[in-house]
Amino acid sequence: MSIDTLPTGRLWRSRLDVKVMPYTLVSPYFILFAAFGLFPLAFTLYYSLYDYDLAGTTKWTGLGNYAKLLADEDFWNAVTNTVGMFLLATIPQLLLALFLANALNKRFRLRLAIRMSVLLPLVTSVVAVAVVFTQLFARDWGLVNWILSWFGMDAINWRAERVPSWLAIATMVDWRWTGYNAIIFLAGMQTIPRDLYEAAAIDGASRRRQFWQITLPMLRPTMIFVVLNSTIGGLTLFSEPTTFYNGNVDGGSQGQFQTVAMFVVKQGFREFDYGYAAAAAWLLFLLILIGALINFLFVRRIGGTK
Amino acid sequence: MMNRKRRGGLAAASALAAAALTVASCGSGGTPAASNAPASSAAAEPVTIRVQTFGGGSNFGYKNAITKWNAEHKDIQIKEEHLTDQFEQQYWPQMIQWLQAGNGAGDVVGIDEGGMGLAKAHPEWWADLKEFGLDSRKADFPAWKWENGLTGDGKLFGLGTDIGGMSICYRSDLFKKAGLPAERDKVSALWPDWDAFMKVGQQFQAKVKDTKFADGTNTLYQVVLYQEAAKNGNVTYFDKDNNLIVDKNPAVKAGFDFATKMSQQGLTAKLRNFTDEWAAGTQKGAFATVGCPSWMLGVVSGNAGDGGKGKWDVAAVPGGGGNWGGSWLSVPKQSKHPKEAAAVADYLTSAQTEASIFTDFGNMPSNTAAQQDAAVQSAKNEFFNNAPIGEIFAKSASSLQPVFLGVKHAQVKNAIESVIQGMDDGSVPYGKAWQQLVDDAVKAAG
Amino acid sequence: MTNWSPTLITRVMLALAIVLSAFPLYWMLVIASRTNADAVAVPPPFLPGGNLGQNIVAVLNNEDAHFLLGLTNSFIVASVVTVSVVIISTLAGFSFANLSFKGRNVLLLAVLLTMAVPLQQMGVVPLYRLMVSLEWTGTLKAVILPYLLNGFGVFLMTQYTRQAVPMELVEAARVDGAATLRIWWNVVLPAVRPGMAVLGINTFMLMWNDFMWPLIVLTPDNPTVQIAITSLNARFSTNYTLIFAGTALSIIPLIAVFVAFGRQIVGGLMEGAVKA
Repeated sequence: MSIDTLPTGRLWRSRLDVKVMPYTLVSPYFILFAAFGLFPLAFTLYYSLYDYDLAGTTKWTGLGNYAKLLADEDFWNAVTNTVGMFLLATIPQLLLALFLANALNKRFRLRLAIRMSVLLPLVTSVVAVAVVFTQLFARDWGLVNWILSWFGMDAINWRAERVPSWLAIATMVDWRWTGYNAIIFLAGMQTIPRDLYEAAAIDGASRRRQFWQITLPMLRPTMIFVVLNSTIGGLTLFSEPTTFYNGNVDGGSQGQFQTVAMFVVKQGFREFDYGYAAAAAWLLFLLILIGALINFLFVRRIGGTK
Repeated sequence: MMNRKRRGGLAAASALAAAALTVASCGSGGTPAASNAPASSAAAEPVTIRVQTFGGGSNFGYKNAITKWNAEHKDIQIKEEHLTDQFEQQYWPQMIQWLQAGNGAGDVVGIDEGGMGLAKAHPEWWADLKEFGLDSRKADFPAWKWENGLTGDGKLFGLGTDIGGMSICYRSDLFKKAGLPAERDKVSALWPDWDAFMKVGQQFQAKVKDTKFADGTNTLYQVVLYQEAAKNGNVTYFDKDNNLIVDKNPAVKAGFDFATKMSQQGLTAKLRNFTDEWAAGTQKGAFATVGCPSWMLGVVSGNAGDGGKGKWDVAAVPGGGGNWGGSWLSVPKQSKHPKEAAAVADYLTSAQTEASIFTDFGNMPSNTAAQQDAAVQSAKNEFFNNAPIGEIFAKSASSLQPVFLGVKHAQVKNAIESVIQGMDDGSVPYGKAWQQLVDDAVKAAG
Repeated sequence: MTNWSPTLITRVMLALAIVLSAFPLYWMLVIASRTNADAVAVPPPFLPGGNLGQNIVAVLNNEDAHFLLGLTNSFIVASVVTVSVVIISTLAGFSFANLSFKGRNVLLLAVLLTMAVPLQQMGVVPLYRLMVSLEWTGTLKAVILPYLLNGFGVFLMTQYTRQAVPMELVEAARVDGAATLRIWWNVVLPAVRPGMAVLGINTFMLMWNDFMWPLIVLTPDNPTVQIAITSLNARFSTNYTLIFAGTALSIIPLIAVFVAFGRQIVGGLMEGAVKA
């Protein structure tokens, strides 16, 4: 390196550095996204315009798959199941998580141990836990039915009846995520300045009132995060209901708990109608967008007065 | 120089990622089946032939036959991969996926009769066993069993394993408890036809509360369907031109009607065959009878476990014989060792092996020499209270008629059984079940 | 300050939460340590039996279960994806948060939009066909590649970096003549470590539990741990002790890590959640 070239070289390099480096740093993401994001999206659209058959024939069908899908009872059944289970799981889950976070926010001994134990369900294997729950919800010798029998209730056929199957699956989902969401809420709660509460206490606001008037509105950013996560997770539900039926994507003898994600896999990889599966995947995406939008509007209303 | 130094951080990071990816490709590169074999540099490594099977209990009954082969053949080791109990719902779709993808299928794969139509229609999936001299086996099988293993263009892709035959497996201890005769000949005499069978069920159910008379609707549906198919041109869901005839074939309606009656009378445990609850129900005594083609014996004994020994017995089926079930062995084209795989398929379908499978587990041989084997003819099954299974199954074996099954039989069967199960478990109303069965069949046939 | 001490109801609620969190895992151990007959007994057993070791050995010795391979494969898949996602997200997050360049907002918006796309589910058909044509089905590459990026990760790291790395710090380093990458390495990385930890844990857990895509693209003889359990469940339908010993085995490594690093994980999770 000669002394002469150093300053100009450096200047040139640093200019290049400032100009180009920002793009270089974000490029790995966008390159990979092009490969594994844009490509599948575009090709899903492409596939959805064709009709595939087990015999291996491929036929152009235009929007035929979409039209067929919109008239397909099984698809709407899957949509109903997905939305139903999502609501059945998410609403109690978020409420429980909020109250649990509120409880965790108090002062007591063994705080870390308690926080860890509510997080415990998260560090398990989802299929393993679904297997355990499936056995707990067995019709003939499951623990849950045994407990219900104490109260004189008949054995519930958890995999054959629609709402019970939803309940069983929602239980699995909630068991797994409530503690996690509670910890996230707790983190949010701890950023709320305490003097807000103290001022409210001086004004004579009850604890319950403080929770609704201070805690909840201040949690809004955390809430957006949690709700969005639950929405995407809930609307793409697959592992629990699949394991609940022996690893089978039919979701019950009459699709009592078949979700849209399971429907996509069934069409694509059990019936080998790739085009139909691709079209269903697009509609699943639409469903998620709608879900996210509704949630977003809903969360914006919470504490919207604040 | 300066540049390189500045990039130190990124280089370190990407080195880390690269290292991790290397680990990954190591983990995924080797075929695990082969890597299980002991590594030796000098001697040639033994070829491992993966045999993929399905079905409950002892399924294909290959346990002893494989142990024997492996002891005698150091150069070719058989490894059975029993994938799942369920053929239509899990095994077959997964197999189709692997056959299409060109990776995943075993070196030898079992195919149920319900999959043969589709398998025949895809010669490109299979190795031609004629290339390995196996057309010499033609004389070993009944013509229909042999011909079903040929593709349209004459390629030999499947060798017959077992065939159906029909009986009723029943729990003699529970029959005693219900005040019914428990001895097999007397039990057989109880039910000359299906109406009598149902009457016995009502008597049974009146006495015994915590055990249902039958496992579920689907097993009995199948038994009746196949019996009736024999009277209706030996077709079930498709005619021989592959047109869907679910709504026109009286055999389907007869099976459905009988299943409906059993369910309405509350005689079923509402368990779908080949699910885990059904298997556990066999063990726990949730039901007292199961429709039993020969291969079902091994399923029942395997599921019931040692605790069921002597409690189960075999009686005649109401309404005469039938040919439900039976499988073939094929060698997928993607196998890396087609020659050795063909040798294994040859061995597993040989007269000697098929005969020993029958005596050990109960699957009725399709191999005609095995059917005539004295040991087969006189075989008794210890688990089933020493029932003379040779007499029950082998005698009628040669007269069994082939039933034609369409290209999409497995898909339609699954759809129909789901409706029948749904009717039994209450999710489909009785009044709507038939219409839904027809509609779902049409949908599944695509 | 009485406000912050727990009431009786709070205590009861917490106790209940802990019991409910632990019960299914406890139950798993109970069945895994007993016999098959016990597993379907009514009333069910509530205390562990003495067969845990024996049942776990049975799973590990069962060649068909490929259990150790499943655990190893899951570990490889989750680690590779985690390293990739954390590096890619940290780089991009720094760029979006601390550097100014033309089109930044548009690109960031693009990332946000991609976040809502469940790529691996939506793109399952073309991704599968791609893997078939590359002859990669049945290999870990096929599982790993579609997950190497994560819009959520970029978003999280952008938010986190914004909070953790003040612009003045970056500008000061720039005045000192440090190049962008050096700033990233010396200034940004140390500051965003908790964010990386959260993203890392999240990604690892997500990959460890990934089920749908491996179920489609892998084969039972080269499984991830979730597929190994599914196959175990399908192959040994009524061998409950074997299945439950397998489920216990799939969870034990995670719980061990969790217990060892519980403080960091809980702390990191909470810190990351607030800053992002």
